[in-house]
Formats: sequence, structure tokens, C-alpha cells
Amino acid sequence: MADDNDSQDAVRIERSFDAPVDLIWQMWTDPEHFAAWYGPDGATIPVARMDVRVGGTRLVCMEMQTPNGPMRMWFTGGYREVVENERLVYTESMSDENGNVMTPSDMNMPEEHPTTTEIRVELENVGGRTKMVMTHAGIPSDSPGAAGWTMAFDKLAVRVEAHSNL
Amino acid sequence: MTMEDDRLSETFAALANSTRRAILARLARGEATVNELAEPFEMTLPAISKHIKALERAGLVVRGQRAQYRPCALDAAPLEEVSTWAEQYRPVWEGRFDRMDDYLRRLRPQRKTGEHDG
Repeated sequence: MADDNDSQDAVRIERSFDAPVDLIWQMWTDPEHFAAWYGPDGATIPVARMDVRVGGTRLVCMEMQTPNGPMRMWFTGGYREVVENERLVYTESMSDENGNVMTPSDMNMPEEHPTTTEIRVELENVGGRTKMVMTHAGIPSDSPGAAGWTMAFDKLAVRVEAHSNL
Repeated sequence: MTMEDDRLSETFAALANSTRRAILARLARGEATVNELAEPFEMTLPAISKHIKALERAGLVVRGQRAQYRPCALDAAPLEEVSTWAEQYRPVWEGRFDRMDDYLRRLRPQRKTGEHDG
């Protein structure tokens, strides 16, 4: 499928917030605001570094409490599109604390497994409220250096289905 | 973490290994014994058995009861769950945006007295 946003690997969520677009923009681009809502329940965001410009990088740490103590997960990525109060597009991969992307071989995974995804946020002012459309998609396998990991699984699933129908 | 998340993690963990993926690809062509599955790999039988056990735990492989060889067969159901990864991830984002909504509500009184200094 050419358009990853139409693929079944994408999550698309549309929401309306009772807040002006510039404040919703800050929710995504101001580390303090971002940390306040992004972590799942019971998790905190102790680190959120964001160089919000095209080509700029981001590094986010998510800390979760587990029975074995706190567990930290790091995510890095780059900004692909930055149009203030309108559109933000960035990538996300698991990384170490220095922002080094965990390559498939680091995680002892086969080559087609990179876990890079793309988050796209589109904002629109609708009578003082903000309409937000968020799309989170696996990056298609023809992207340089990043195969769609969910797609790899899909292919396997399709293959399995085809064979089980024989 | 919900039980579905746990299950999905197990499936991913089981798939995150090239030998296990190769075993699944072989089983997609039909059931096979452990010996047959071991053939293409330069691995000991116990090593292969360990991989098969990991796949069994993830529910991707079932062992037959009828023969003493207990042939392995593929169960594709967990793979179908993986293929709907996007739908599994949706509630995570919905939860985040609920919290964004709550947070915006908490910010509102502050915003009346002055702009955020961000």
C-alpha cells in the first residue's frame, strides 16, 4: 500500500479539545506540558528533550514502577514536518539513554524488525476549539533504513493464512 | 498492563528471533517433528526444543498427542492479534488524550490570570 496513513497498521484518532490551537501545539512541543499527559497511568516522563524544527531530534524517557523497581524506557526520533499550530510530524524508535536507536541486531532481532514509527498531528481551529487528528503508523518497508515491523508480521500472518487454507 | 498486552508481548518476544521465525515458516507448510524442524539448523536438538517451547508458550505452536513424535503444528491465532497491532495501540492514545483533556481543564484557571510562560 503506497499511503501508510491508509494502511491497517495505522492508528488514527480524531479529537476535539476545548482549548485554542496554540495551547494544543504546546501540549506536543513544550516538554513540561508534554510530560504532563503523555505517560500512561502510573508512569512519569522524567526526561523530554525536544528540538522542534525539521531535522531536530527528540529524546523522551518513560519511567514505570514495577515490582522490581523503576523501569526506564527511552524513545528517540526526528522531526519531519514542523508547521506551528498546524502540523507536526515526527518519528519514534526505541533507544538507549543517549538517543542511540536500538538496531535490530542490538535487540537480537532479524533485520526486518526496526521499530520505527511515525506520529503525525494535525490541528485546526474550529470556532475557538481545536480539532486534532493524530495518526501513528509503522514506517513502510520501502523507507530507507526502516522497515515496517508490523508489516513484517502481517506478511507472515498472510502467508500462514494462505497455507492453512490449502 | 492488560492481559491482551501481555499476550501480545509474548507473541512479539516469540517472534523476535530468526530461528523461531524460520520454524514458523516451515510449519506454515505443514506439521513437522522436532527432528524435521531441527534439520535446516546447525543447532542441537535441545536448543531447537527450547525455541519450540517458547513458541508453544506464545500459543503459536501446538504439539500433537497422537504419535510418540508429537508433531508440531502452527496455530495462527496469535499472529492475527499481532496484525491488528494498530487497534491494540489505539486505547493507549485514547488514554493519553483523556489525560490531555484533564490537564487542559486544570490549566484553565491559570490561563485566565496570565499566559503560560513556556
